Amino acid sequence: MRAVVNAIDRIFRGLLALLLAVMVACVTWQVVSRYVLGSPSSWTEELARFLLIWIGLLGGAYAYHVKMHLGLDLLSQKLSPGARRVQARFIHAAVILFSVVVLLGGGLSLIGLSLELGQYSAALELPMWVVYLSLPLSGLMLVVYASLALFEEPGRPSPADGAAL
Amino acid sequence: MIGAVLLVVFVLLLALDVPVAFCIGVATLAALLLSLDPGPAIATMAQRMLSGLDSFALLAIPLFILSGILMGQGGIARRLIDFAKCLVGMLPGGLAIVNVLSCTLFGAISGSAIAANSAVGGFMIPAMEREGYSRDFGAAVTAASSTTGLLIPPSNIMIVYAVASGGVSIAALFVGGYLPGLLVSLLLIAVCLLYARSRGMQGSGRTSLRETVRAGWRALPSLMLIVVVIGGIIAGIFTATEAGAIAVLYALALSWPIYREISFRDLYPILLKSAETTAIVMFLIAASVAMSWVLAYHDIPSQIATTMLALSDNPLVILLIINLALLLVGAFMDMTPAVLIFTPIFLPVAVELGMSPLHFGIMMVLNLCIGLCTPPVGSILFASCAIANTTMSRILRPLIPMYAALFAGLMLVAYVPEISEWLPRAFGLID
Repeated sequence: MRAVVNAIDRIFRGLLALLLAVMVACVTWQVVSRYVLGSPSSWTEELARFLLIWIGLLGGAYAYHVKMHLGLDLLSQKLSPGARRVQARFIHAAVILFSVVVLLGGGLSLIGLSLELGQYSAALELPMWVVYLSLPLSGLMLVVYASLALFEEPGRPSPADGAAL
Repeated sequence: MIGAVLLVVFVLLLALDVPVAFCIGVATLAALLLSLDPGPAIATMAQRMLSGLDSFALLAIPLFILSGILMGQGGIARRLIDFAKCLVGMLPGGLAIVNVLSCTLFGAISGSAIAANSAVGGFMIPAMEREGYSRDFGAAVTAASSTTGLLIPPSNIMIVYAVASGGVSIAALFVGGYLPGLLVSLLLIAVCLLYARSRGMQGSGRTSLRETVRAGWRALPSLMLIVVVIGGIIAGIFTATEAGAIAVLYALALSWPIYREISFRDLYPILLKSAETTAIVMFLIAASVAMSWVLAYHDIPSQIATTMLALSDNPLVILLIINLALLLVGAFMDMTPAVLIFTPIFLPVAVELGMSPLHFGIMMVLNLCIGLCTPPVGSILFASCAIANTTMSRILRPLIPMYAALFAGLMLVAYVPEISEWLPRAFGLID
């Protein structure tokens, strides 16, 4: 089980770094094509925006797994280990609720809608469901990660520090 | 009613240690389900979250995050610190002032406070400790002064505000942040001088002009980034997002082939760290945009505006109330969701009072910077404690005079619009 999770994490990390690298390359290429080549590229901006959506939603799920999201930790410091276990389960349950209803439910209904309407993006002519797919995928990953954590012993609480601009 | 549900669910979940992004998400969901047909409500919420991220302006944020991390690892911070040491090291309390100035200089080339905090603090806190400063004081100085990077351009949070306000120019916000940022930095230097005098601390020896010029020359390629990136934005040559890409290339070129402080193998962890930070911020943005939509749908911002404007006839008093409310928000909430959620609420009130959206944005950012250094939620505070290997309760005492300095700066910026508006006007970015 641990090995499977670790393998998925490795793929996830690689994917996030790759998406960011491609995004940087897109914006860079846009600058080069506009100022050096004199003919601005039309599709790089759109691709970069879609990549940002994918990084935000998938990375948001990964960040939950590695406990990087910003939050308080005042209560958990005061609780006994037994009560802390209950509290941790409550947090995971709240995350699962949000992920199932909004990210999975809302995301899938958006995909259904865009298939029905046959929506395509303006520059790349990409079917819009490809972009919307990031929502249920993020929801699915969050449900998996939070469910795994439900059956784990909670570790020592530590405040996240990754979220500041 | 809907507003009350939103607030109660949010505060309750926050108190139970649910991560902030999910507090916002679940509270928004609860408010939606009470007021709308569930099926379309949920689909609309998902759609809002996604479209909140679909913005060319927001693309600048990951780029400035990446360039900030590159600069932090690439020896750029060290060269800025060496230069700052030559300039102000001889003053009483020299090293503390060097710390403030280095954070300010680093803030002028990077868009995030956290990058300045770790790049400067990681070196300066131990250096200060060796010269007899307490580690807690060093951590407090680093925490307070790294917030200047959010006022001084490039600044990621100004980009978030530009998006939230729906149309304030990023170029004007960037230029407008210079004087408030320098003002805060000067106030913090004053605190350091007083601290040193009360303890009879001397500065380090004077450096020769020759050495200063040499350190300046070594820092010049890093400082040139200001001219290239901000100059390009002001001159209208490129957008903030394009400037972000240029900053990444520039920082990469300096730290990889020129300074040789990073190698090809370091690129993967740097990219990953940037992607993680980006994801956390973007996830917060997605949730906050959804919440802000629900608030607007129920007309809550205009109700709050009416209530606030009825509180007093005196605009100065209402402005003070807004600031106190934002300080409270900043203590409990991270900066990004605070800007996204409270801009639509307070900006109309501020405009009604005769403030320009530019002035309000800069004041709001400075206000929330204080929140980054205050418990219970203060990411800069957490980061400084981690770097200095100390605890939150220990650095609060040395932070008290810094809070006073930041608050004094906030009051000046709030009540003297020229501090924020003079420079953008001089550059012709606003009328």
